[in-house]
Formats: sequence, structure tokens, C-alpha cells
Amino acid sequence: MAKLITSDHWVDVRQGLVEREIFSDRAVYELELQKIFGRAWNFMCHESQITKPGDYFMNAIGEEQVIVVRGRDEAINVLLNSCPHRGNSVCRAEQGNTRSFFCSYHGWNFALDGRLIAVPGSDKYYGDQLDFDEWGLTRVPRVESYGGFVFACLDNDAPSLHDFLGWVGRLGIDQIAGKGEMVIVDGIQKNRIHCNWKLAVDNLFDWYHPKVSHQSAIQAGVLTEEALFPMDQMVLLGEYGHAIGGPGLSPARLAESEEKHRQLVAEGGTSRRHWRSNPASREALGSAGVRSRGHPNIFPNVWITQDGSQLCLRLPKGPVETEIWWFTLVEKSMTEDERRRVIQAATHFFGPAGLLEQDDGENWSHSTRGSIGRVARRKPLNYSMRSGLDEVTVGPDGQKSIETVVNEHAQLWTYRCWEEWMTAESWPDLIAHHSPEPTDAI
Amino acid sequence: MDMPTSGNIGQDRQDLADLSHRARLQFEVEQFLYAEAAILDERRYEDWLTLLTSDIHYWVPIRRTTTAREVADEFTRPGDMAFFDDNFDTLTTRVAKTIRGTPWAEDPPSRTRHFVTNVRITQVEGDEIDVALNFCLYRSRLNSEEDRWVGRREDRVRRTEDGLKLARRHVFLDQTVILSQNMSNIF
Repeated sequence: MAKLITSDHWVDVRQGLVEREIFSDRAVYELELQKIFGRAWNFMCHESQITKPGDYFMNAIGEEQVIVVRGRDEAINVLLNSCPHRGNSVCRAEQGNTRSFFCSYHGWNFALDGRLIAVPGSDKYYGDQLDFDEWGLTRVPRVESYGGFVFACLDNDAPSLHDFLGWVGRLGIDQIAGKGEMVIVDGIQKNRIHCNWKLAVDNLFDWYHPKVSHQSAIQAGVLTEEALFPMDQMVLLGEYGHAIGGPGLSPARLAESEEKHRQLVAEGGTSRRHWRSNPASREALGSAGVRSRGHPNIFPNVWITQDGSQLCLRLPKGPVETEIWWFTLVEKSMTEDERRRVIQAATHFFGPAGLLEQDDGENWSHSTRGSIGRVARRKPLNYSMRSGLDEVTVGPDGQKSIETVVNEHAQLWTYRCWEEWMTAESWPDLIAHHSPEPTDAI
Repeated sequence: MDMPTSGNIGQDRQDLADLSHRARLQFEVEQFLYAEAAILDERRYEDWLTLLTSDIHYWVPIRRTTTAREVADEFTRPGDMAFFDDNFDTLTTRVAKTIRGTPWAEDPPSRTRHFVTNVRITQVEGDEIDVALNFCLYRSRLNSEEDRWVGRREDRVRRTEDGLKLARRHVFLDQTVILSQNMSNIF
């Protein structure tokens, strides 16, 4: 069978095709660890998870296990969880509070900023020759926050977090952070799916599947068909692969929603659900952002839910294994009752027991399996829905959006940018050669 | 358990009566739990709902690996995040979701086996019997997928006019990261 993608590309943007091997091939995966996770700003935690000196939370950058820890000086450090002596981990808990990181193998001890502070026998056995400055824990060189969300980057040549996110990535995080002061709800749901991490990511933009995958949830009255299969779709594409895809409000429906908000406030009701209507939020979100109700993905692997109460991280654990982590956030000012409602919705819809999510995992694992067979692999996957049929609208403030029906623009954009990351030699190369945001026909 | 060993016949009779009472309660509770497990394994989910009280709390908190010093923070607390934090209505929705339309997570259906063991009655107050037990839930799916969840349960069984009912199920799993693609089952 002739290959449909004839060049040496993984992604054919014109035809909307993606080679299957990228979902299971070990060599592709190893390259991703280096060129994607090794270069991108990776989500670590929310600042409210580590408020006191010594508070730490374990996360990962690709397959590097990292400790995110609040230092004595209140600064956030991200340290590789590997003792430089034998490589052993210096922290075994998922979270907690500590004075230092003590290696359980030979007792090397490290300060909260990674400095080596004690080595048993440094005088008698090493003859005071060990250079303590040289043998601390490896520090992840770049740590920055946006709106309370902490990110870390291994690459010194990367742009700032602000520039990496661009307006689409920032808008994605603002879907949570824009609501006010947010705090984490204790308890990160974690589970494993035998799938490639990208198939989990591409599903978050997929408003084609709910009617089929989640049909039983619709029939059981978990959500209405309209909510799960909205016809008015809006896609925002950002540099470096960030995107938001999902429902969008037309200007008329936005006006309707804002009118409802005004009435609610006049009657003394809560305006939490309509936070976007506040003049300051409206201004910050922008002409397209204020109308978007879609799912953002912060490239490569951070999904933020529509209502801005949850963030889902998809951590690669091998080419065909992914760990799904759900973080839940509430407004600090919420009453106990409001907080409880957010938590109930969170446990009900998402997470491994969520009535929506429980039907997804098997699809992703079987799609992954479908990329292994050498004959199956010859046929690329089809991401062509609405490709070549839509237009990008540029708003008065420069925000660009595609207003259409159910589509695969955001998925194809994700893979297109993914290939640019995979083929770029370095950050300067990626900055020079990445796709600009589309501005006309798409 | 104290065995009747004294030489006093009256005392022995009393002890035997106590033992008989406790054994009967233990038997009754265990039979209820075994029957419930069988109903779940037989996928009779609507029947299962009839075993619940309308005020049931079905809760599966999240467990974390912590240091020994901080092991008190191992489980999330009530009101924080959990895997399940359900009441009768949400459990009814879960069942409806499993039996209607095309519930892909359970179509083809999983094959489950509920094991209940180490059953201890920890408190009896009025009509309510608190039970601590260990469980193992085994799930075989399709041709090559296996999941098992092992843990401790704290159940509350209530005596009603319609027999014993489940008024509380708190499930304390031994896994921290759930090594399964989903939890579409009932513990």
C-alpha cells in the first residue's frame, strides 16, 4: 500500500493526515521527551498547593521526576528527584512538608534549594575533597508562574512563560485564574491509561465524540445533548501549539448572557457563573476570549475544563502509557455550599470514576493499539474535518477565531505544531520557523 | 472474642447467650454483604439500588503516598476531592448510565468478582450496625485486561422494615495512583 503522506513528514496539514507511528513508536517517544517536554514550559502545580517553606509536590517533566518545593526564602524551586551520588530518589512521597531532602541510600542531605548540605564521612572517606557546590540536586533552571499556576522549563533558551503561552495560552489559564483568587481542593485524582499521551490531549478538542462515546451519560441525564454536542463552535489557535476549541457564543448570545447577569446582580444573586461579564474581565479576555466556552490545551499536555474549575495533566509514562492527573480549584471566597457543588460536579463528570470520563479511556487505549500493527500503520489517521472549509476572523483587538461547527482544526493545529517542535533544532530555530497564527482561510 | 470459661453455670449461660446473639448478628450482616456482592457480580444494578437507604453516603477518598511522619494526611478528608462522593441520587444516575444506551465502559460488560472478608462489627447503635471489612474487587475486561482494587471498607448497615439496607459505604483503597483506565464499577 502506498503511503498517503509521501514526504518525510508525520503530519500532512493540507490533507489533514497524521501518521499512526507517532502514537506508539519508541524512537518518536524518546524524541518527544527531548524536544517537547525537554523544551516546553511544563505545568508543575498551583501556588496554593505549596504555601509554606518546605511544602513540596512531586511532578514530572517528561520522564524526569521533579520536586516542586517552596524554599526558606519563599521562592519556588524545581529539583530533579535524583541524588547525584547513585541516582536514587531523595523524596518518595507525593506531597508533604520537609526541612531537607535526605537520600535513603547513603545519607547525602540536600537543602530546599537543592544545595548539598551534608555527606556522611565527607572528612574521613572523601578527605574533605568533595565539592559540595558541584554535587547538589540538579535544579530545573526556569521556574515562573502565571496567575498562580507554576510552570518549569529545562531549556535556558526558551522564551519567558508569558511569551511561550501567548494570548491563547494565557486565555486558557485565565479561564480559571480570571475568576479571582483560586485555591486548590486537597486531592489530585491520578490514574493510568494504556494510551499515547497525545490521543488523550487530542480528545479534549473533540466535540464530535460526545454524542457517541457519552451517549449513555446523555440518556441517564448527566448532561443534555445540547451541552455535549453544541453546534456553535469556536476555535482559537495560538503559537507553539496552544489552542482552545469548543462552544462559542455569538455576539447576540453573549449580549443575552450579559443581560441575564445584570438581572441576577440587580436581584442580589451571585454573579460567579457570569464572571466574564465584569468589565475588567471582559477587557482582559478580549473580543474572542469573552465569547469562548471551549476547552483550552496549554501545549503540550494541560487541559482546562470549560467551567474553569479543573485542570487535567496528561503525563507520558512511555509510548503507550499515560498518567492522568486531575487538579480541582475553587474560588477562595466561595461559601462551603458553593465549594461543595464544584467538588460534586468534579467527581461526577471527570476523573476515573467520572460519568463522562469512564467511557474515554478504552477508546484511547484501543486507538493506541491500532497504531502498532505494521499494516494498520500504513494508513494515516484522518484529521480533515472542516479543513479548508472555514475562515479565520480577526477581531478589533487582533484576537483571531474560527467560528464554525464541529471540526478538527485544533487537533490538526496541535499535530502541526508538534511536528515543528519535533523537527526544530533548538528554541531559536523554533522561534524562527514555527507557524504563525492562521489569519485567513483554514 | 471472650469464650465462656468460668465455672459458674449461670455466667456460662449468659456468656453463651451473648455469643449466640453476636454470632447471629455477624451471620446476618455477612449474609447481607455476600448477597449484595453477588447482586453486583450478577450485574443486577437496579436490584442493588433497592439495598440502599435514601440517605446513603458512598465515598471513596483519594489516598496519597506520604512519609511515615505525615501518614495522618494519607487520605483526603470528607468535603475535599474524592474519587466518589455520591448520594442516592447520584448512585441512581450511575446505575442508569450503566444500563441505558451504549455504556461503552461496560459494553462488552466487565466480569467482576467482589470478595468480602475480615468482617468485624465495630459498633451497634439502635438500628445501625457499623461494619469494618477488607475487600478485593477483581475485574476482567475484554480478553487481556485485568484490574484489582484491594482495600478496607467502613459500611453502615441499617435494620429497616424491609430488612437490612446499606446506609454508608466508605472505601479506603490501597492504591494511590489508580492503575486502571477507569472505575466504572461499584465497590
